[in-house]
Amino acid sequence: MFKSLPFIGYWQKTTFTLWLIAALCFYFADTEIISLDPWSELRLMAEGFLRPDFFATEYLLEALWQTVSFALLGVVFGLLWGAPLALIYSNRFVAMLCAITRSIHEIFWALLFLQIFGLSPVTGILAIGLPYGATFARVFHDILLQSPKTTVQTLPYGTDKVSRYFYGRISHVLVPIMAYIRYRFECALRSSAVLGFIGMPTLGFYLETAFRQGHYHEGAALLILFIALIGTISLWCRPRLIAVYVVAALFTLPSIPPVDGALLWRFITQDVLPPALQNLTTWSQIDLGVMQSLSNWSQNLLVEQAFPGMIVTLLLALVSLAMAHGVAVVGAGLASNLLTGKLVSSGIHLCLLVLRSVPEYIFAFLFMMLLGPSMLPAMLALALHNGALIAYLTVRQSDTTQVSPHYNGRIDGYCYDVLPQIYPNLMGLLFYRFEVILRETAIFGILGIASLGFYIDSGFSEIRYSSALFLMGCTALLNIVVDIISRRLLIANTGTQISCARESGLSSVN
Amino acid sequence: MLKFENLTLKYEDKLAIRQLSLSIKAGEKLAIIGTSGAGKSTLLSHLYQCLKSEAAYSSQKQGLVEGLSTYHNVFMGALARHHWSYNLFNLVSPFKQPLAEVTQLCQELELDFPVSKKLSELSGGQRQRVALARALYQSKDIFIGDEPFSALDPLMSRRLLDMVFERHNTVIMVLHDKSLALEHFDRIIGLKQGQLHLDARQDELTSEMVDDFYCDIPLTAASHVLAVSDV
Repeated sequence: MFKSLPFIGYWQKTTFTLWLIAALCFYFADTEIISLDPWSELRLMAEGFLRPDFFATEYLLEALWQTVSFALLGVVFGLLWGAPLALIYSNRFVAMLCAITRSIHEIFWALLFLQIFGLSPVTGILAIGLPYGATFARVFHDILLQSPKTTVQTLPYGTDKVSRYFYGRISHVLVPIMAYIRYRFECALRSSAVLGFIGMPTLGFYLETAFRQGHYHEGAALLILFIALIGTISLWCRPRLIAVYVVAALFTLPSIPPVDGALLWRFITQDVLPPALQNLTTWSQIDLGVMQSLSNWSQNLLVEQAFPGMIVTLLLALVSLAMAHGVAVVGAGLASNLLTGKLVSSGIHLCLLVLRSVPEYIFAFLFMMLLGPSMLPAMLALALHNGALIAYLTVRQSDTTQVSPHYNGRIDGYCYDVLPQIYPNLMGLLFYRFEVILRETAIFGILGIASLGFYIDSGFSEIRYSSALFLMGCTALLNIVVDIISRRLLIANTGTQISCARESGLSSVN
Repeated sequence: MLKFENLTLKYEDKLAIRQLSLSIKAGEKLAIIGTSGAGKSTLLSHLYQCLKSEAAYSSQKQGLVEGLSTYHNVFMGALARHHWSYNLFNLVSPFKQPLAEVTQLCQELELDFPVSKKLSELSGGQRQRVALARALYQSKDIFIGDEPFSALDPLMSRRLLDMVFERHNTVIMVLHDKSLALEHFDRIIGLKQGQLHLDARQDELTSEMVDDFYCDIPLTAASHVLAVSDV
């Protein structure tokens, strides 16, 4: 269909196709605004942000500190088990294990551990540490692969293995790895705050309470504090202070309630098993009837929950991807001082910082208060957060691009001179983000959108652990399949490997 | 010290050295000259492989580490002298003695900035001297250098060459500055398309001989080129 249009290039086709698919998805998605009076609610919220009340929350400092300490301990735990695995990541089994661990969202891990450990700090730390460790293993492995080998070749004869490895390999990758850990710590702060929505004593807990009760002055204050916390990471998170923070975090952890061994055993051996297998005592009891009911059980779950959940998840993710594209292109244009001048561009820069600091989940929650429960709040939240992030990274590139001497500083000049230079990178980032968007989409189920997370959440709350676990497996599988497909497409079409490490470019900014 | 007959070497699947015979005596100061692609670096890295237990090698790929300080980059020359735990500790917090030694060495090499400076902040000439410092810090008997002064001015090259001579018994060096080679080295060999085309002691050699070496293309190679282009 494009053959007769010689001036429509590869990226135009890709963009057009993306929007076509998104428009189709939007048609099938549920985007009705169900709210009695969104405007008055919006007015109340705006008033809250104009006059935030920083003293309304009891335990405010404690909540802030718990948010930081869960994030910190989660990252440390992730490093402890993820970093050594990076050295043996080329092993297929290790890579697969990490891929599965990574593809399950922190919130789902938290929901699972909540059943075992209750509202204990262990739940929060494990929920952050497990997927983060798996990501560390993969990213560190990627970074190590790219490190130059010339140093090892020029080391003096007789250098022992350990020195060889540390001076020849690790020293090369120390800077990108530190940058990546910093970036992940920022992500962990967001995850830690969001864990509050399922009951952990972090900022999200107080945020949800405040907004649900209509205490917008209080909620606004919490949100502003959270954004300030993330925006000032470089000020309070000095490398020398980290050890102090870790020790302080360990000592100030809320007390860990004892784990009931019998309950844990029951959970592992009984509760997580499908109903058909629960009352079996020996292997020999597995017969045709058991197999039959097992297959019925999984078939029912697949048809009634997994497939509808997957479809909604994909619809939502695709529409959000296209909307994020729009936000990214417009945001990058407005924030570029080549187009809008210094004053406006720095204002937009600040907006982008705020938008990318707030977790999608909190945005979705706020929009849902305004617009009522449909897919629209989730789409807007995903588009704003991810679009702002991509715009932010793209602007850093566009600020250093060379423009022709007759560049006129208008929108036409921008589209001729700057946009073609930054567009491939923007699209690369966008498609890399798709994996992240998909992961986040699943958890919006907890807010009531019928994505996979919705069925997982109801599985847990109705104490049907086996179906919750089954659906978590489906989510992991969906993420892995999409990841593999998008990687193949990217490599085939752009010839470049987009690695997760690219995002760590973020960290050198704050 | 080292002797080989009919040596043939490959570089990236292409023949780089063809049937070369050479002997090197201990205490010699040997310069290797030749045009690009003559096989000099391939020969040099082979020499290093043969002599590596007693030689320091300053390769064209400097192997410097961007993220580390100048001090650490130079210290890497001493990795083999210490236990790994010493090396690891030094990576976190430098020991006094090597720090003093490296600072001294860097001053001699006219690197007049704090040794704590990150490598990524250095200029091309400074980097080359850091790579040289690392080779010197190995304190070996033999120095093997692959154009170790290519980014430096001629005067500084001479001063640094003297330093290299002072500290090593045998020196084998690829040079592109032929006057430097003629003035300072005992023996000069010229490579052309992987073969030895010049091997003379300094006192037998004149500037004209070197110019001739650079000018004429050997008949065999020229006819080979023609034959290929005919096809």
